[in-house]
Amino acid sequence: MATHPQFPPGTELNEAYMPPSRSPWAETWHLLRQNRMAYTGLVIFLIFFAAALAGLAVTSGSRPWLDPARVRLQEKLRPPLAKPATETLSAEEIPALNIYLLGTDELGRDVFARMLQGAWVSLTVGFVAVGIAVVIGILLGGIAGYYGQLEILLGHMTFWALVAGAIATAFSGMLKIAAALSLAAATGWTCWRLRQASPDKPLPPWLRWAALPTLQVDTLIMRAVDIMLCFPSFFLILTVVALLPPSIYNIMVIIGLTSWMGTTRFVRAEFLSLREQDFVAAARALGISDMRIIFRHIMPNAVAPVLVSATLGIASAMLTEAGLSFLGFGVPPPHATWGNILSDGKAFIFDAPWLTFAPGLVILVVVLAFNLFGEGMRDILNPKLRERN
Amino acid sequence: MLSYLGRSTLQKLVTLFFVSVISFLIIHLAPGEPSQIDPLNPKFTPEIVERMRKEFHLDKPLYSQYLLFYRDLFTGRIVSWKDNQPVLGKIWERFLNSLPLFIVGTLLTWTFSFPVGIRSAIGRDGVYDKSTTFLAYLLISIPGFFFAYIMIILVVTHLHVPVIGMETFGVTSASPLVHFMDRTWHLVLPSILGATGGVAVLSRYVRSQMLEIIGQDYVRTARAKGLSVETVYYKHALRNALLPFVTMFGLILPGLIGGSVIIESIFSWPGMGRMAYEAILARDYPIILTVNFLTAVLVLLGTLVSDLLYMVVDPRIKL
Repeated sequence: MATHPQFPPGTELNEAYMPPSRSPWAETWHLLRQNRMAYTGLVIFLIFFAAALAGLAVTSGSRPWLDPARVRLQEKLRPPLAKPATETLSAEEIPALNIYLLGTDELGRDVFARMLQGAWVSLTVGFVAVGIAVVIGILLGGIAGYYGQLEILLGHMTFWALVAGAIATAFSGMLKIAAALSLAAATGWTCWRLRQASPDKPLPPWLRWAALPTLQVDTLIMRAVDIMLCFPSFFLILTVVALLPPSIYNIMVIIGLTSWMGTTRFVRAEFLSLREQDFVAAARALGISDMRIIFRHIMPNAVAPVLVSATLGIASAMLTEAGLSFLGFGVPPPHATWGNILSDGKAFIFDAPWLTFAPGLVILVVVLAFNLFGEGMRDILNPKLRERN
Repeated sequence: MLSYLGRSTLQKLVTLFFVSVISFLIIHLAPGEPSQIDPLNPKFTPEIVERMRKEFHLDKPLYSQYLLFYRDLFTGRIVSWKDNQPVLGKIWERFLNSLPLFIVGTLLTWTFSFPVGIRSAIGRDGVYDKSTTFLAYLLISIPGFFFAYIMIILVVTHLHVPVIGMETFGVTSASPLVHFMDRTWHLVLPSILGATGGVAVLSRYVRSQMLEIIGQDYVRTARAKGLSVETVYYKHALRNALLPFVTMFGLILPGLIGGSVIIESIFSWPGMGRMAYEAILARDYPIILTVNFLTAVLVLLGTLVSDLLYMVVDPRIKL
């Protein structure tokens, strides 16, 4: 039974009429502690986060403490927990820990150091890719949900078509046409603005076509989602990554740009139902601006499930990155990622199984932790499963 | 019904048009050209490169390249840039190789997911439910390539059967039985791996559907009438819980042409996924674009089929 300090001790209190004794945050934390799988996931995630940060610190720089790129050909394929043969190594070749915790690979590089270096790659790819996807998803979903019923006018369409044409022609080198198109766009925009400044006067006949409605904002965004969903996602990512120069940033951006559709649909649905609720109507009646309603009133109610699905998205982004590294795309070679350690090790699968199992198990555990935590949070945030106390 | 069909077909054609434009732009605006893929090859003199660019229409402006490409695609004349074979013929050949994987994988997925999902829903929060839940998360989280290597080690060291490729080289001269067993063994691992993710996701979905139906009033009424547990679960609840899965028959359609790139390259399986992967490496634009286009067609067709199926099985839905 909860205690209520504002009442003198001994007062008869009926718990059913009291406000919940815990704040929402404390309540969530309490439920999380009870859900063993989700809690374990959180703990593993924190350990992984710390390891990735520590890994970045000890393996980067010009003279790293643990050098993931140091080649020791006389020490190749040593099993895990092997001691380095100090007599054959020069002073700077001896690993800092004086033990190969996870063995060495076919070039005698320390697998433990390489795993630490790869942790940071996995972490950043997961977070940045999902961050991009969530930002796009919230923006487009929010616009579609809140402003969805607005019509896009023919004038807007013409303006954007002119801008797109200008950009396209500028890139193909036809600078004169580009200049003409951008001039036309700028003139049209200025005319429109000047007209908008005096709304009581009717539009002159030569501008009236621009006010014709074409299609709704909602339709536009949702059709864009449909189009994106038609692409086979892994194949699309693979194509773009293969065509662009190898870089970790390309992978992050591409995974982000190909995975925002789910969030968009979700946020749109949330916004559509929330904008009809009484508290939003009240806020609007008070004359609060749209931006404030969206960000202070609607967003806090819609964002928790989005973050949960983002957690699951991080897991799948990490798997995608590992798959791409495994196929040999992505981060250029001397840099280690979990996927390319495994990919390099597959030739020695019977002689040096640790080259397969170390990265494989670590990917498995980290992705599992994200999935368990995300699914657990989904259950916890589901009000049907909450008990009142 | 007919007006719905017409409207959604029209809408899907528009979507398809945009997909074709976007995939074309992505491929052609990316840096690098197929004619530059092997700059160190002494055979690639500037004249040859120029001739190749002409042959592939790469010297034309983008919009006419687009029109030429889709004209060739629809008239079936399109050829691969790598070996000048007709693209549709190549895809058909690889499709036939991927088909057994797809069929066995789908059968495994659907036969395992339902019993597992239903049983864990009925015994909610029991030992069976908890352990299958954990197992499902494990299977979702395991990287396909890592799981593939674990299975290869197990099968090769314990069962002593060949696993890589579609069949053992030269086995065609052996007796039909040996040949058949050889093909089957080669099929086992890739299709199990293709099905793991599906089993995990689908069984969770079956479970949540079943849980939702079990919580409904009419199920409680049926129990209160004194019907046996089996009748209630399998006659009353299951039939309604199955409704959403009918629509899934449409959604597995794109898998026909998908083919997993990673699994097929590990097992050297000459299927669709590998062909697409090789085409990407060789910048064989016609194959990449055709595979992309066919996938989009199948996705759109799949959603149409699933909408129609839903309407057939659920009279409450009016389109």
